[in-house]
Amino acid sequence: MSKAARREARERIKQQRLAEERKRKRNKILVIGAAVVVVALILGGGYFWFASDRDGGDTEIALPPQTLQQDGSVVLAKEGAQAPVVEVYADFQCPACKQFETASGSTLQQMAAAGEAVVHYRPVSIFALQPDPISTNSLRGAAAARAAADAGKYVEYNDILFENQPVEGRPGFAVEDLKKWGEEAGITDPAFAERVDAEAAVAERFAKEYAPALVQDAQQQMSDQQIGAMPVTDLIAWGDENGHDSSFLDDTYVQQVLQATTDVNARYSGAQAFSGTPTVYLNGQKMGDEMYSASGLRDAVAAAGPGEVQSEPLESGDGAEAEEDGDGGGKKDGDAAEDENEDASASPEAKE
Amino acid sequence: MDSTDNTTETAPGGPAGDAPAPRSRWAAVQPWVTLAARVALAGILGYAAYSKLPVALSIQSVEAYDLFPDPVNEFIGITLPLLEFALALLLLVGLATRYAGAATGLLMLVFIAGIVSAWARGLNIDCGCFGTGGPVAPGETAYGVDIARDIGFLALAGIVMVWPRSPLSLDRFAGLYR
Repeated sequence: MSKAARREARERIKQQRLAEERKRKRNKILVIGAAVVVVALILGGGYFWFASDRDGGDTEIALPPQTLQQDGSVVLAKEGAQAPVVEVYADFQCPACKQFETASGSTLQQMAAAGEAVVHYRPVSIFALQPDPISTNSLRGAAAARAAADAGKYVEYNDILFENQPVEGRPGFAVEDLKKWGEEAGITDPAFAERVDAEAAVAERFAKEYAPALVQDAQQQMSDQQIGAMPVTDLIAWGDENGHDSSFLDDTYVQQVLQATTDVNARYSGAQAFSGTPTVYLNGQKMGDEMYSASGLRDAVAAAGPGEVQSEPLESGDGAEAEEDGDGGGKKDGDAAEDENEDASASPEAKE
Repeated sequence: MDSTDNTTETAPGGPAGDAPAPRSRWAAVQPWVTLAARVALAGILGYAAYSKLPVALSIQSVEAYDLFPDPVNEFIGITLPLLEFALALLLLVGLATRYAGAATGLLMLVFIAGIVSAWARGLNIDCGCFGTGGPVAPGETAYGVDIARDIGFLALAGIVMVWPRSPLSLDRFAGLYR
């Protein structure tokens, strides 16, 4: 082989290598480009899909009538609507409840306005025995919402409370704010502010003085597990027999929301058992994750038949009378519930 | 960057007498190690993404860290499971393996930073890494375990990033990392 031929061969090989190198570089750019496109499609498409299935903000709609019930719950339904009943059990301090309200709250209201659903708001307090301020926020919020129901503005107030939910463990739902939000919701009756003040004092006393002393005493005689499994109202009844006077709770909205929490644990058992908040029942059947998306909720409701509201309306709009039969109301509320009560051995104080 | 990817066997320039260096055991095993790391990470990320849904609860998990305003929490809460899913897909099919591994490692570093910050601020939350996060009772936090687990995942991502060469990958199909 001549020198020239050898040089030529070397040159050819070099060119070949360079060409391959170029091809590899090009392929690499193509591969990275393809990967970027895949990621962008998934992120963009997925974001659009999920975001469009959320209510996102408060679309102003004309609300149908809201009817205060004897047990302090509120039914939002078009006049004479025969539709599936959606029961919403929520604690105003529970973060997942806020997410539920944000994702699905206005869809519920729209369906109620259209007569497609009967929405039954049932505030509870699963945090009553938690450390302050979680407990006080929960109770103060729920009691204020109940006071707003006296003025016929529960649903509006419910939305405002969830928008302003304090971070768990931080102070929030300040009395002054609760009053101001009442005005924002359109409440003009001065009785609202008075009631908020009074209930805030009760919530404070319950969570900071009464409950800690009661729990401490109960721990002498029961295991933490037993206490945890006990409805708070049962613990209160135990306290009354053991030197913890609970009369300051009589006829208060704090007491009513505690009763409502006990009642839901008795009302549902087995697969339908109340399991913390938010729990949503469609005609008495517990809903799954579909409740967190507007379309999932709509589809489920559309597939369900008309249901029955499991409580009696409070005949007069007078709040004072509500308290009269408040205690009885709590029990009267579930004729069916009471029968279930016996076999409802499910652990009541579900954790969130 | 990928000079190590070019092993001598396919190099056209070396038909001459220099004997190929004896392939180390690692060189033989490495592609399978990387494949295992890829598939494991893909499974972990895919499950993490799935278990975060519905997005309303994913947003709640982000909110629990108490780091950002609500709109940012919402954006992260929706995007994060999607990003995890996208990375899982890339790792599973082996597309842009090195970069997918690097991105996964970066994500793990961000997660670890987030958990450390929650720990340092004394928050009582579930990290929301798998399933729904949010507040838990004091004493029920598991920050140490969460961080150790994420460091393990970070190591897997590191393997994929440093040695992207592996069988059953689109990269190989495209002539990369042979």
